[in-house]
Amino acid sequence: MTQTAAVASERPSPETAGDNARAWLDANLPQTLREDILQEREPSIAELSEWESKLHKAGIIGATWPKQYGGGDLGLRAHLDISREIGRTPMPESVNSIGKELAGPIILAVGNERQKAEYLPAILEMRNIWCQGFSEPNAGSDLAGLRTRAEKTGDGWVINGQKIWTSGASKSSHCLLLARTGSVEDRHRGLVLFAVDTSLPGVDIREIKSIDGARHFCEVFFNDVVVPEADMLGSPDQGWAAATRVLSIERATNRMHRAWRFENQLQHLVSACAENPATRRLVEHDYARPLAEVAVNIELLKGHVETLVGSLIDGNEIGPRGSLPKMFWSEAHQDFSKLALEIVSRFPPDMSDPLRAVKRRMEDIYIKARAETIYAGTTEIQLGIIAKRILKLNWER
Amino acid sequence: MTTEYDLSPEDFADTAKAVVNACAEADTTATRIALLADAGLTGILASDSSGGMGLPVDFAVPVLHAAGAGMLAAPLLETMLLAQAFSGTRDDLATAIAIGHTKVTIAWNGELDGSAGTVDRAPLAEDCDAVLVFRRDGSAILVTLGESAEVLADDTLDLERPEARVVITAAEGPVLSAETVTELQRTAQILRSALILGAAEDSLERACEYAQDRRQFGKTLVSYQAIQHHLARQCLAVETIRNSIARSLSPHCEMPVDAARATFIGATGLGANTAETAIQIFGGMGYTWDVPLHRHLRFVRTLAAQGKAAELLDNVAQQLLSAENNKKELQRAS
Repeated sequence: MTQTAAVASERPSPETAGDNARAWLDANLPQTLREDILQEREPSIAELSEWESKLHKAGIIGATWPKQYGGGDLGLRAHLDISREIGRTPMPESVNSIGKELAGPIILAVGNERQKAEYLPAILEMRNIWCQGFSEPNAGSDLAGLRTRAEKTGDGWVINGQKIWTSGASKSSHCLLLARTGSVEDRHRGLVLFAVDTSLPGVDIREIKSIDGARHFCEVFFNDVVVPEADMLGSPDQGWAAATRVLSIERATNRMHRAWRFENQLQHLVSACAENPATRRLVEHDYARPLAEVAVNIELLKGHVETLVGSLIDGNEIGPRGSLPKMFWSEAHQDFSKLALEIVSRFPPDMSDPLRAVKRRMEDIYIKARAETIYAGTTEIQLGIIAKRILKLNWER
Repeated sequence: MTTEYDLSPEDFADTAKAVVNACAEADTTATRIALLADAGLTGILASDSSGGMGLPVDFAVPVLHAAGAGMLAAPLLETMLLAQAFSGTRDDLATAIAIGHTKVTIAWNGELDGSAGTVDRAPLAEDCDAVLVFRRDGSAILVTLGESAEVLADDTLDLERPEARVVITAAEGPVLSAETVTELQRTAQILRSALILGAAEDSLERACEYAQDRRQFGKTLVSYQAIQHHLARQCLAVETIRNSIARSLSPHCEMPVDAARATFIGATGLGANTAETAIQIFGGMGYTWDVPLHRHLRFVRTLAAQGKAAELLDNVAQQLLSAENNKKELQRAS
């Protein structure tokens, strides 16, 4: 398949957003970015950025953001329709998901007009790539315990501290930084959000090699980094409130496509196996029911995603209920990854390229899936949120 | 939720709960059906011309949720389905069912090939006037219980709605077309899931209450993180069933038939697990007859069998592995 269709000249309407996205993705996803065929090399950041920029121009990314900042002004329903098609397409995950799904929504919520005009179009056009400076060595899931300090000076803030597990920091132009103005004992009070240019003096980024062999994770040191007052997002004390509000929505809507990407991975495994008599027999005889259970779990996951989106559209607060799809997806996907690994481990030695491609993809998914029950709040944190804030269990009495 | 109707599905929740509570005090299935019919709950899905309300399935969900939570000992699911299924073709019969004059059930297992045979998994058949029996050609027939259709008590897990076997020597009665039966079975998947949701939610609520009251080693059970996490997982299970039902009934659902099937299959596993976990949290008390958690567990497992959850899972596998399905995927990949 070649890139036949030009970039869409008109943005999609709410009714046709999903269909338009489907047609555009089918016509424009380069072979070199497909995750369901054997690739000789990993795509570069430049290639991925170019691809994502095209997605924006086609109206596939930024659908819900206001038009004045480069968005499509569409509603969540259209966003869901588009996300389904993104998920069904075996394309790479965004290299700027923090920008698009965390920094952008926070800036929209608490940023001033200048910040919105400067940062939001740059995120969508892939001129700026963002990372998230929340977690610290002693404040991972417990963000209220973070120690990075922001001290007010005459014309801005001086930042000192260390962040860790900062995905993609070494390739980012900006960091969404959460720091505190008071003492650690203040917990949730006195937390401030900043948009920090990562090229500022005193920002030291070091890559950490993760179990998948990538150098995506980073630790970021802030040594007397002077951040202009103009790059503070919202007022002091608004930081934590904004972060938690956005995080709860993020857990429900972030990577909304993942149920359909999960389905694409299952379909890829099954359809590749069907092409070879030995592997077809393998899945039909030994794995039909476990694979059917995966398919059922995917439908149940769609239930979480679609119902929460419906609830948001109806104007309801999501709050702790954002933990439900995150938790269900991460565990169901890990279960699938184990099953898929077992299946591909039984492929014949003379396997064809399509089988080799699915084997490589499933092995990669298995290793990467270890992170899914850790990032964006570990499973244990999610269980705590559900116990305390949804069930409202009282263990003090 | 706003609808084109004057009422919303939620409006039925409180009424249903009150009527189910009243049914718990009633002595017979006939009395319980009468109470349900008087409140209009048996005819929610039946058309106006059959004395029903002609409402969509969404409106029956809170009613069956209440029935599942309250361990209702009546064939409410079957009554609702049959009052709806005979609407339009046999309004007189649909009316008699909706107002509780004709008490009906469905033999969920077995098919008649001809006019004689044995079917089973008919809840509360001993207390009913007629039973719907599925036929090999996909249609179904409502057989009057009596000399030509003998009800035999069967081994049964479910204590509230004991299942019976029915031996039929001459099947005669009103018939439902294959299309109507297919629709009935699909609706049953959603409504069974609602029954399971009620049972699972009640199990979870009982377990939460017990864990917050019961003290061991000087602390409440819920002080232990292991117990908190057990309960949180069951909360996720309950919400998964609830959200999947909602999705299956949403006008935005892309494939409602597949969604309803997955909802029911998922609900059987998640619902049973919630009742099992609640028993575990109650410890020794959970294993006693008087703590009703085993009743929920028995009910959910029985609903799984009546709805053929295991066979449906095989159908999902067949669909997933079908040549047509894989061809579509390969075409997209090329």
